[in-house]
Amino acid sequence: MPLSQAVKDLVVNEYIPRYPTKRAALVMALWAAQNEQGWLSSETFEEIGELLDLDATDVNAVASFYTMFHRRPIGRQLIEVCDNPPCLVNNAHETMQRLCDRLGLESAAGHGGGTTADGEYTVRFAECLAACDMAPAVQVNYRYYGPVRPDDVERFLANMESFSIETPIPPVPGQSGPPAGAAATPAGMVKEG
Amino acid sequence: MAQTPPPASPAPDGAPQGAPPPAVPFERVLTAAMGQPGSHELDHYLRRGGYVGAHKALTSMTPEEVIKVVTDSKLRGRGGAGFPAGIKWSGTRGNPAPRYLVVNADESEPGTYGNRYAMDTDPHMLLEGMIICSFAVGINLAYIYIRGENLHGYETLELAVRQARERGYLGRGLFGTDFNLEIYVHRGAGAYVCGEETALMESLEGKRAQPRTRPPHPFQVGGGLFGRPTVVNNVETLMCVPHIIVRGAEWFAAIGSPNCPGPKVYCVSGNVNRPGIYEAPMGLLLSELIFGDEYAQGVPGGRAVKAVSPGALASPLISGGELEVKLDVDAVRAPPYRTQLGAGGIIVYDDSVCMVELLLRAEQFFAHESCGKCVPCREGTHWMVDVLRRITAGRGREKDLDLLNNVAGNMSGLPFHQRTLCALADFAAGPMMSAIGKFREDFDYHIREQACPQQRQLAHA
Repeated sequence: MPLSQAVKDLVVNEYIPRYPTKRAALVMALWAAQNEQGWLSSETFEEIGELLDLDATDVNAVASFYTMFHRRPIGRQLIEVCDNPPCLVNNAHETMQRLCDRLGLESAAGHGGGTTADGEYTVRFAECLAACDMAPAVQVNYRYYGPVRPDDVERFLANMESFSIETPIPPVPGQSGPPAGAAATPAGMVKEG
Repeated sequence: MAQTPPPASPAPDGAPQGAPPPAVPFERVLTAAMGQPGSHELDHYLRRGGYVGAHKALTSMTPEEVIKVVTDSKLRGRGGAGFPAGIKWSGTRGNPAPRYLVVNADESEPGTYGNRYAMDTDPHMLLEGMIICSFAVGINLAYIYIRGENLHGYETLELAVRQARERGYLGRGLFGTDFNLEIYVHRGAGAYVCGEETALMESLEGKRAQPRTRPPHPFQVGGGLFGRPTVVNNVETLMCVPHIIVRGAEWFAAIGSPNCPGPKVYCVSGNVNRPGIYEAPMGLLLSELIFGDEYAQGVPGGRAVKAVSPGALASPLISGGELEVKLDVDAVRAPPYRTQLGAGGIIVYDDSVCMVELLLRAEQFFAHESCGKCVPCREGTHWMVDVLRRITAGRGREKDLDLLNNVAGNMSGLPFHQRTLCALADFAAGPMMSAIGKFREDFDYHIREQACPQQRQLAHA
């Protein structure tokens, strides 16, 4: 699916003028593209490259360095459980186990994660989310929730917002992303990793 | 966090001449607005005296005077290195324009989360610090680099920048002077190494986040952002600045440790009853932070403290018997502790935590986050994970501890650039060597019994 004119306009009119080089707008542009498309395809790399005078190979070489850019479709709701030491000693693995059990996933070990057959959820571990006082800390589509203790998992899946630790702030076009559940997920879901 | 300063003891009448002055009660300034609804809004900040420091600096002081006040305050960087802010600023100012300011808001060190609260609560305090710094150094373009995961912080900063721009606190001719400043907020996309200042600048330039060779240093031509002289400061460092300008260098220098003064936001996590952020004078005793009623209130179930990461996960561990240490940059570096304060993230582990399991998860983090540019880090982190995995899987060998010490020793101990371009290798090696040195019985048990002393699997095999 080609990038919309709105995203291209954002890159050209908003992001590029912020920096002395075109290239510096790359990560912000990739964010805007991923928030629209749900993931980053080779075609998207070509389109971004054209806007910034970069080879698609070069764009890919940068995008693939960063863990938050997806090279394959993922679930509409990306649930990430931190299991770095402050969360680890507060039973993050038990929280993950209960999440996987509840969603019918065999395992979400490591950064690959697991995706439900209906494409609704992708579950994976995250490195430290800087919410160590909310251990175990969880993000869903990069929104902060916590603490989500093992016994909270049922309630969390039924009503995530009651675990939110964010105050309402106006969204930023291109960056805030679609609300959870609204992203279009192409067919042919595959496990990321 | 509920935190009240101790009541001031009134000076007794007829106190003898030469008696020490009564202690000034500590006043929280960096976290004063925490918990107040709407504290991130410009009007809320103005009602609390916001932008008074920037107004004062720009309309009644020269850049040199601002730098002198910041130097005299003895403000040292809060990101971990503890470099004097005034010296960094004057060094950058001495090099030709254009110069840039970059705020390091990449906060990703396991155990640190103070900047997240600071930016959520008081984004305008950060912008005000940036205005004062930019005026002092002669900078007209500044960036805030915030980690990608902190989307909420990004949105909060975007709102703050927009409000500041609309009301004339950013843009052209600030406070009726001819000083111009533009600030942009830039998102990362998931890479711990971006917390290292040269990797951060590479990332901001649209490249893979891999550290640069120094010299040239960031404050020099060729070494900074887009090759220009650049100040890279931590969020908390810049948030101290408006208060220093308003209240004076002497006020700041009199708080806490004389060689590293000022208020400090400590983050406590792990096995404690009340994890949270606590602002206190730099140099607070670790034992008070863990057990004090005003702070983390001890360990759940009354268990013993087995170990502490005093400067988040990258700092060499200290044992439960070493809690009477002052939490300032120099005191934790000194023997017998020989560790580091980092950005002030204190992780507490109780006596149910097996240090072998803990180190496996820690080294998995560093292996995942190594950028791959320098061989000792790229190879060493993965070797440590492999050996630790073998031990936790019940196949450990007696000589594995020497092997771990050898690998870690080859990753660390020399000044930067003699082995690796940044400190990530040292960050991975320090906890490893300290764990074997101080908690050897856990490793010995694993190898001898081929089982975990806690019978509890924490990490992935």
